[in-house]
Amino acid sequence: MKRRFAAMPIWPLVAAIIVAVWAAGVALTGVSRALLPSPALVADAAHELIADGVLAKHVRVSVVRLAWGFALSTLLALIVAFAFARVALLRRIVEPPLEFLRQIPPLAMIPLLILWLGIGEAQKIGIITLACFFPIFLGTTGGIAQCDPKLIEVGRVSGLSPGEILQRIVLPSALPSVVIGLRIALGQGWRALVGAELVASSAGLGYMIEDAQNLARTDIVVVGVIVIGALGLATDFLFRRAIAAAWPWVRVEHGAETHA
Amino acid sequence: MLECRGVSKTYRLKDRDVAALRNFDLALPPGSFTVLVGPSGCGKTTALRLLAGLETPTNGTISRSAGDARVGYVFQEPRLMPWLSVARNVGFALEGRMAKPEIAKRVADILDVIGLHDFANARPDQLSGGMASRAGLARALVTKPELLLLDEPFAALDAMTRRRLQSELVALWQRFRPTIVFVTHDIEEAVLLGDDVCLMENGVIAERFANPIARPRDPTDPAIVALRRAIIAGFEAGEARKTRTPKETTI
Repeated sequence: MKRRFAAMPIWPLVAAIIVAVWAAGVALTGVSRALLPSPALVADAAHELIADGVLAKHVRVSVVRLAWGFALSTLLALIVAFAFARVALLRRIVEPPLEFLRQIPPLAMIPLLILWLGIGEAQKIGIITLACFFPIFLGTTGGIAQCDPKLIEVGRVSGLSPGEILQRIVLPSALPSVVIGLRIALGQGWRALVGAELVASSAGLGYMIEDAQNLARTDIVVVGVIVIGALGLATDFLFRRAIAAAWPWVRVEHGAETHA
Repeated sequence: MLECRGVSKTYRLKDRDVAALRNFDLALPPGSFTVLVGPSGCGKTTALRLLAGLETPTNGTISRSAGDARVGYVFQEPRLMPWLSVARNVGFALEGRMAKPEIAKRVADILDVIGLHDFANARPDQLSGGMASRAGLARALVTKPELLLLDEPFAALDAMTRRRLQSELVALWQRFRPTIVFVTHDIEEAVLLGDDVCLMENGVIAERFANPIARPRDPTDPAIVALRRAIIAGFEAGEARKTRTPKETTI
C-alpha cells in the first residue's frame, strides 16, 4: 500500500493546493478582480478564449515562431561549434566577437532587429534565434571539450581520420551536454518569444497578454501566463521523452539518486 | 618484421625534460610473442604507444614491414564507447571500411571466439569488468591484426578472470599468429605468456630472457619459477645500480 502511494505523482495535489490558496486568498481579502481575478474568473476567461479559437490562434503563432527560431539556432550553433573544433584559427577569429555578443540580452537587440528585419516574423524569429543560440553553442563546445581523450585514442588506433573521430566519437560523447544546452535554449526561447511579442506584434501569447493588459482584462493576462508555463513544461517533457527514445545512454531524468 | 632502432622519447614536464625511453632497440619477427615487463614509469607503455603510432619518437626510427600494416591495440581500460552496443563497439574499426553484412559476420565470429556471443546487443555499462575487457580485446582482434599491442589489458581483473583471459589470448595467438607485444608489470604474467621477455627499467631494455618453455604453462612448473627468479634478480640488480647513480631519469 505504502509503496503504491509513494509511486503516485504528487503534482496534481500541489496544483490543487495552489489553486485553493489562490481562491481562498481572493475570497478572504476581497481584492479587486483587476488586480487578481479568482480562479473561477480565470477559468471562465480561458473557456471563452478556447471556445472562440482565439487562444489556439495565439498559441499556434507563438509555437511556430519558437520552432523556427529553435531549429535555426540549433543548426547554427552546431555548425559553428564543430567548425571551431576542426579549425583552430576560425575559433581564434570568431570567438571574441561571439563572446561579446553573448553578453547582450536578446531583448536589448529588439530595436536594432526591428530596424534591420522590420516588425514581421523575421524579427521575432531573429530574437528567438539569438536567445537560443548561446546555450546550445556553449553546451556543444563544452561537450566537445569534455570528450575523453582516451576514446579519441581508440579512434586513432582504429585508423579513423580526424573528421571521422569528430563524427563518430566526439559528437556522440558531446551529446549529453548538447542536450542540456538544447533544454536551456528551449526555456530561453520561450522567454525571448514572449518578450518579442510584447513589442510591435499583432498575434501570439505575448501579444494576447499585452492586449489584455491594455483592456484591463487581468483574467486573460493570467490565462496567458498559465498557458505559457504549461506549454514550457509540455515542450520540455516531450523533448526529454524524445531524447530518451533516441539516445538511451543520455540521462535526462534524475540519474543517480542524489536525494534520500 | 617490426624494428625499433635507437628510439628515444622525451616528454617536456614544466621546466625539465623527462626521458621516458632511451636508445630503445627491438626487432620483432612476424608471429613472435614479446612481453615488456617492468615497474611503473620504466617506459614500457611509451614503447607500446610509439609502436602503435600514438606518439612520435624524439629520436630514432621505427620501421614496419608491409606485413605489420594492420595494428590492434588493447588499452589498459576497455575504453568502450558507452553509446554503442557491444557488437558495434567490437566492429568500430570496420564501420565504413567494408559492407555491413561482412562486418556483422566478422563481429559475430569474434564474439563467438571470445565468449561474448550472448552480449552482442548489451550496452557497455551492463558488462562486468572481465566481459568489458573481452570486448576491448575483441575490438582489437576483429581487424585480423598482424601486430597486436596490449597494454596491461588484464591488470584490473581478479586473478581467476585474468588466468582465463591469459589462456584465451595464448589460444588466439596460436590460431591467428599475430605479432604480439604485451606490456605488464606482473612478472608471473610475463613468464606465462611471452616467448621473449624484455625487462625494462629507466627507459631501456635492461635484460632479455628467452622463454622456450612449452605451452600450456603452469605457474608452479620449476622452469617457470626459475625464470621468474632470474627476472626478479635482474630487476634487483638494476635497482642496486640505480641507487649508485641517482637522477638518471632527468637529462
